Amino acid sequence: MRTLRMIAVGALLHAKQLSRSPFEIATALIVPVVQATLAVYLFRAGGEPGRLLEAAVGAGLMGVWSSVLFGSGGAIQNQRWQGTLEMIMLAPRPPALVVLPITLATALTGTYAMLATLAWGRLLYGIPLTFADPLAFAVAVPGCIIGLGMFGLLLASTFVLLRNANALTNTLEYPIWLVSGMLVPITALPGWTGPIAAVLPTTWGARAVREATTGSGPTWPSLGICLAISLACLALGAIMMTHVERRARAAATLALA
Amino acid sequence: MPALPRLIGTGGVIAYRALFNWTTPAMFVGTLLVGPLFQLLFFAYLGRQLGVADDGFYITGNAVLAASLACVFGGTMAVSNERRFGTLGHVLLSPRSRTAVFLGRVLPYAANGLLIAVTTLTAASLLLGLRVPVDALPGLLLVLAVAALACGFFGLTLGAIGLRFRDVWLVSNVSVALLLLLTGVNVPAARLPAWMRVTGELLPVTHAAEAARRLVAGEGFQAAAPQLAAELAIAVGYAVLAATLLKLFEAESRRRASLDTL
Repeated sequence: MRTLRMIAVGALLHAKQLSRSPFEIATALIVPVVQATLAVYLFRAGGEPGRLLEAAVGAGLMGVWSSVLFGSGGAIQNQRWQGTLEMIMLAPRPPALVVLPITLATALTGTYAMLATLAWGRLLYGIPLTFADPLAFAVAVPGCIIGLGMFGLLLASTFVLLRNANALTNTLEYPIWLVSGMLVPITALPGWTGPIAAVLPTTWGARAVREATTGSGPTWPSLGICLAISLACLALGAIMMTHVERRARAAATLALA
Repeated sequence: MPALPRLIGTGGVIAYRALFNWTTPAMFVGTLLVGPLFQLLFFAYLGRQLGVADDGFYITGNAVLAASLACVFGGTMAVSNERRFGTLGHVLLSPRSRTAVFLGRVLPYAANGLLIAVTTLTAASLLLGLRVPVDALPGLLLVLAVAALACGFFGLTLGAIGLRFRDVWLVSNVSVALLLLLTGVNVPAARLPAWMRVTGELLPVTHAAEAARRLVAGEGFQAAAPQLAAELAIAVGYAVLAATLLKLFEAESRRRASLDTL
């Protein structure tokens, strides 16, 4: 219970901190709205006006992924730049438990993107927010966000090992949008992308949210798989984070930017 | 080498090496070569699935747009990173022409943009099977070069805005996203509302993408020339705007003593 409380309080703290940055907030609100507008016009041009809600939700999920990717990818580096990395690593808790709230916070602030795209679609394009299964949608979105936050820990612990993590971060945005089927159905992609998509929590999270939105399938199995893969990522991320922390302490490189 | 070309050429290259954040091989390849290629594939598959346009439409348009990333962010870095690294004051103390100093900085970014656009077009054509007529290649290269130059001057304009507004990275990020929407690269211009079409015609890439599509379709250079001329006019327009804004905001920064305010 104390651990859960620590994670919740930590995530709230970091979400508040991220929400103080005009750059973060404006980027989380404006860029997804531009992408949602693009998606709406593309779906209209493709003669699919009935799928505009799907387009708005997909664009929102793209925004959540961008927030997790850039936020979690830079989680450790940002702590270094702020001069707070040593403080959080000194905490008498496993390092994964200290970093997880940060990655969860990046996913939480990603919800601004989802809210923005839905509000934008409703107000400007009159897209009715009629979800096939509102209850499932209300559960699937937070479930997907928690799942992506756990996946973020694996990203954070992996990226800290790479000298050129920024390059990887900038590269991974579109491939995950594409392979996870956030706007483009996986069936439209080459067959070899299938196994990659199957092991990504983003694929199952996006699928769960889409199923809740359109009623194209049962939401719960997809959400369950998303959370199961995310838990595996969390465990792997925790092991890697402990390894990275020990190595950084031994080599005295914790604070080296 | 005469003084002015040296200031523009050598000065531009030195500034590029000092101020562009993405010059390491990993950043260059990951951010500027692989990133735009995945962006192209994303829209090509989305367009295929929705039946909006054929692969050629997306490959050509997004290859032209690929130049914008290096140019828009590069132009911003060319001004904003001087401030970030504390060297803006030194540059502005120089007795040389400010216009020559800053406009010269665009050239390496434009060359960078051209390289990225050509790489993206080549890779995407091989991956998705687009056949470009051989006799269209010189014209296509010219179109991509003009588009890269226009994007560079557009980026410099945003960089100049950075002298006045502190959140210039936000402006750059939003501008790059807006180029995706407004230039008709991914949604055919005819399907956009009139105000978006008009705005798009005032932005770089729009006319170049149209010219490139005509060349790839085998319509010949004559058919693409009017759009190429329009893109060139856009490039000159943004160059003049950037020079004016740099002069204006420099004077204002001196007056308000806010030159190095971060």
